[in-house]
Amino acid sequence: MSSSKKSSDGKSSEIEEAVASLTMPFNKILLTSSDGESFEIDEAVARKFQIIAHMIEDDCAGKAIPIDNVTGDILSKIIEYAKKHVVEPDEDEDEEAKKKLDSWDAKFVEKLDLETIFKIILAANYLNFEGLLGFASQTVADYIKDKTPEEVREIFNIENDFTPEEEEAIRKENAWTFNG
Amino acid sequence: MGLRLPSKVLEHILSFIDSNEDRNSVSLVCKSWFETERKTRKRVFVGNCYAVSPAAVAKRFPEMRSLTLKGKPHFADYNLVPDGWGGYAWPWIEAMAAKCPSLEEIRLKRMVVTDECLEKIAASFKDFEVLVLTSCEGFSTDGIAAIAATCRNLRVLELRECIVEDLGGDWLSYFPETSTSLVSLDFSCLDSEVKISDLERLVSRSPNLKSLKLNPAVTLDGLVSLLRRAPQLTELGTGSFAFQLKPEAFSKLSEAFSNCKQLQSLSGLWDVLPEYLPALYSVCPGLTSLNLSYATVRMPDLVELLRRCSKLQKLWVMDLIEDKGLEAVASYCKELRELRVFPSAPDLDEANIPLTEQGLVVVSKGCRKLESVLYFCVQFTNAALLTIARKRPNLKCFRLCVIEPFAPDYKTNEPLDKGFKAIAEGCKDLRRLSVSGLLSDKAFKYIGKHAKKVRMLSIAFAGDSDLMLHHLLSGCESLKKLEIRDCPFGDTALLEHAAKLETMRSLWMSSCFVSFGACKILSKKMPRLNVEVIDEHPPETRPESSPVERIYIYRTVAGPRMDTPEFVWTIHKNPEIGVSHLAIK
Repeated sequence: MSSSKKSSDGKSSEIEEAVASLTMPFNKILLTSSDGESFEIDEAVARKFQIIAHMIEDDCAGKAIPIDNVTGDILSKIIEYAKKHVVEPDEDEDEEAKKKLDSWDAKFVEKLDLETIFKIILAANYLNFEGLLGFASQTVADYIKDKTPEEVREIFNIENDFTPEEEEAIRKENAWTFNG
Repeated sequence: MGLRLPSKVLEHILSFIDSNEDRNSVSLVCKSWFETERKTRKRVFVGNCYAVSPAAVAKRFPEMRSLTLKGKPHFADYNLVPDGWGGYAWPWIEAMAAKCPSLEEIRLKRMVVTDECLEKIAASFKDFEVLVLTSCEGFSTDGIAAIAATCRNLRVLELRECIVEDLGGDWLSYFPETSTSLVSLDFSCLDSEVKISDLERLVSRSPNLKSLKLNPAVTLDGLVSLLRRAPQLTELGTGSFAFQLKPEAFSKLSEAFSNCKQLQSLSGLWDVLPEYLPALYSVCPGLTSLNLSYATVRMPDLVELLRRCSKLQKLWVMDLIEDKGLEAVASYCKELRELRVFPSAPDLDEANIPLTEQGLVVVSKGCRKLESVLYFCVQFTNAALLTIARKRPNLKCFRLCVIEPFAPDYKTNEPLDKGFKAIAEGCKDLRRLSVSGLLSDKAFKYIGKHAKKVRMLSIAFAGDSDLMLHHLLSGCESLKKLEIRDCPFGDTALLEHAAKLETMRSLWMSSCFVSFGACKILSKKMPRLNVEVIDEHPPETRPESSPVERIYIYRTVAGPRMDTPEFVWTIHKNPEIGVSHLAIK
């Protein structure tokens, strides 16, 4: 994967895109982040992102595609994940491969802070990359399970903006009604 | 500074959070999380339909897909709650119809459901898929017909032990010829005969049908024909077996069963003749659940059946199984997790069955995975309870019903205190406990102290004094539901531990010594509880000290209910006190 910073001159970047389209090797797609980073990836990898897959189908993808909503650092991570998941191993047929991939996934997400994961979720949603969207969301959900509200606030650094009366009313309704 | 967490991201995250406990926690984190959580909660469970108003629930969770509601208290199953007490489904259906159009599943237990309710469900929820009514009443087969006719995507229709006004078997023909979505159908509680050809066609066009529970009116021929059309069934409730045995009929039945290679659960078997049992042998090795509570089969015929059920996890049976039959269970059914033994004879006088405490002891010894027990027996011993507790510390549910009231340990004549102490102490994961037999206050001291995880406790004909209630309400940390009948409990303990009642879902006491005066005091002291005196004779006409027949107390955020019948007194009805406090609906 090659990455190059674009010049800040918009006009020349258009030209660069056009040049890229003409000179791009077959089956390669160039994605450009909102802050000007470029990523050359295999078409198979790009197809993991449904919005791009559709563009390719509809033939409206040039070989260079701007991804306006996602910054380079996030796009880089998403592409890293996508490359690993181009072929999803069948749990039944290749248990070994699935285990290896799960282990890679765990390490991948371990290194990321919560803020980055949120950005990844947003980006995966925008790109319509279901596999990563699910994985990232599940990861965060696991942080929340079996925790008290106080613990969750701590992890996510969230301020409690309920008044004591409001909080008590909800607590009571939850406990007296929906908790069996 | 907090993390930037857009609600869209939170929505995705919450789609992986399902349990009510977790969602309740999420809802308390902050205002925006409360909003996102409530708009995405799909499954709502309300343990007491009077604990909250239907409007509040509908408003809070507009995207609800599944609603589970419970109405009458558990002792309604033993006819201790008079007809007309309440538990009406209508206000809930009405509220959901108005605010929660995406509702797909409704499960109701011990509620009054009218045909109007069923018609409203059919008319209001376009994607309605699942209706499960357990121990409900108030509707007729016309209401069922409305559901069958209108709900295009109906997957599950289960009527479990409901009291239904049966206007005939026509309701079945209301399933349109185009309906092919059925996965589960249970009409075992209906009396009338359905047209077998309608049922055959319905089954034939329902490739996803996995569970079918017939009523006793379906004949053996009918059963055979249905099994041929649905060999993929995993759960089967047969019709009645009480027909004359014909050799060709038997072999057809055998063959039909042997083709059901995926059958895991078997029930029905009304009045099955022992000669028919061999027809079931082919499915026994695959069975995980067997309900013989309507099968009047005696020993030794049961043994041949049971010894083939090596995978059995759940067994419901009558005491006709005797100790000997339970020995067979202990030997062959090593996967058993749940055992229920019901009394076959309603009266003690008629009972002459060789089922004793030894039956339960031998199963406790032989079945290591046993975790749930309901056992009706004439008498018991402490020694047996001690053995059971020692052998099966993994018990989660232990309900012993010694049929003779106040029956002591019949070998030593002592109360069963020691035995239940062992159960409470030894079975650390016990969630549900029913005690019976002669029990002194001491037993309840042990239970209060040791039964830390017990959520539901049932007591009948026990105790010496108020101390019993005192021990329970000052202990039992996890107690949520307490139901008591015919015990000498009275006012003192109840008033002393009034605050505990707000930590519990409900308390039921009938034929105890709670006075009307105490009920009034409790009502005034605890405005967030609904204190209901259920008494055929209006308590206001009697002296304050006279005991009331029944009292039902539950915490609620909905305030007093407005649908009480004459025989239910609450403080809000008391003209001296209640008028200014009456909520205006």
